[in-house]
Amino acid sequence: MKVLILGGAGMLGPYVARELAVRHSLRITDVKPPEEELPGDFLQLDVSDLDAVVDAAEGMDAIVNLSVLRRDRQIAWDVSTRGCYNMMQAAVTHGIRRVINTGPHLTVAGKNITECFDFGIGPDIPPQSGTYIYAITKAMGQEICRVFTLHHDISVQTYLFYHFVDPESIQTGNQRVPYAVSWENAAEAFTLGLEIDLEALPSLCEVFYVFADMPHGKFSNEKAKRILGFQPRRDVEKLWT
Amino acid sequence: MRVLITSGASELCAVLADHLAMEHEIRLTERAPVKSVHNFVQCALGHDRATNQLTSGIDVIVHAVEPLPDEDVSAQIDAATRCTYNLLLAAAEENVSQVILLSTLELMADYPAAYRVGGTWRPLPRTRPPTLSKHLAEQVCREFARERKLRVAVLRFGKASDATVYEAVNCALANDEEWAITHVGEIAR
Repeated sequence: MKVLILGGAGMLGPYVARELAVRHSLRITDVKPPEEELPGDFLQLDVSDLDAVVDAAEGMDAIVNLSVLRRDRQIAWDVSTRGCYNMMQAAVTHGIRRVINTGPHLTVAGKNITECFDFGIGPDIPPQSGTYIYAITKAMGQEICRVFTLHHDISVQTYLFYHFVDPESIQTGNQRVPYAVSWENAAEAFTLGLEIDLEALPSLCEVFYVFADMPHGKFSNEKAKRILGFQPRRDVEKLWT
Repeated sequence: MRVLITSGASELCAVLADHLAMEHEIRLTERAPVKSVHNFVQCALGHDRATNQLTSGIDVIVHAVEPLPDEDVSAQIDAATRCTYNLLLAAAEENVSQVILLSTLELMADYPAAYRVGGTWRPLPRTRPPTLSKHLAEQVCREFARERKLRVAVLRFGKASDATVYEAVNCALANDEEWAITHVGEIAR
């Protein structure tokens, strides 16, 4: 499969690129050049540039969107919200039916609302991002994706993460947020998402929490395991032992 | 009451300003220059002091989210999301009490014509403005209301006379609910 990766030179991008390059042909894009050699072709572009995204998507079978910028208020909207519109418009233009979008768990469960009080939180609760800039910009992007799936035959899987960890860096007794996954394990979800039969997905717009099996009971990764076949590694257990 | 009206270049807001000026102190704003008999302040609705200064001393904002002439889709989405966010964040910081968002009944046009669709029904935006941009503006406003940073009244207008629009805005000014959606007029089909 020919896969366009947006935001591929960021923190998660190299892990996803190395994972997908084994079985797929990659066109990786980012607003800045990669700091390490990545498999596939690299194209420097700004995801907020509609024409550039549409051009980059030509000839692709799938789009994976890893683009993110959290702090700068102008660029956060450009990347996380307009970027999603541009990606979906590119998918429509080129008849690309498979899109994997990404974001933080906050797009669904805003940190000042649900996470503070609740347990067993699944990804299909009504989205309630709150006004935190990172959460709301990604949430609006996610909503744009949902609206496009109502009108076009495009499947969008959205993978939500919280905290990525390098298993080697975990010190016993470290207290981390109750929602983590190793970089390599997170990347494995994208292979599943590219290879799953789209007819096996319950709808054209599905959201998944992707993280390790963790004992805190806050968030549920059950849907990712049940539908995608995601297999959490046992590589972050030092977080709670 | 001191009322700030956005999208001052639009005919809707110009007429609304004339009506509201009979009872309220009006400040009109737009992202581009506008000639107006009312107090006009040009503001890009950016993330800067200018947006705070625009909302300082204001009691209620009537936010219309209308595009500028020749604005492309991407720019319209940017205005509906980023600019709405900047405006409401500044408003909350400046202790504005209420935002009245002027939206569209076209959001409900895909329901069967025979249905009596109400404000509690899920909107059905399409993938282009005005429904996509108005929908996203509603979504941004909703999160401010959810966090109780501002009271928000959404007015979704269909075909309605100027007098009906004015009356609906006046009713909204008296609404003290945290989040309220009202349908005004008829869906254009």
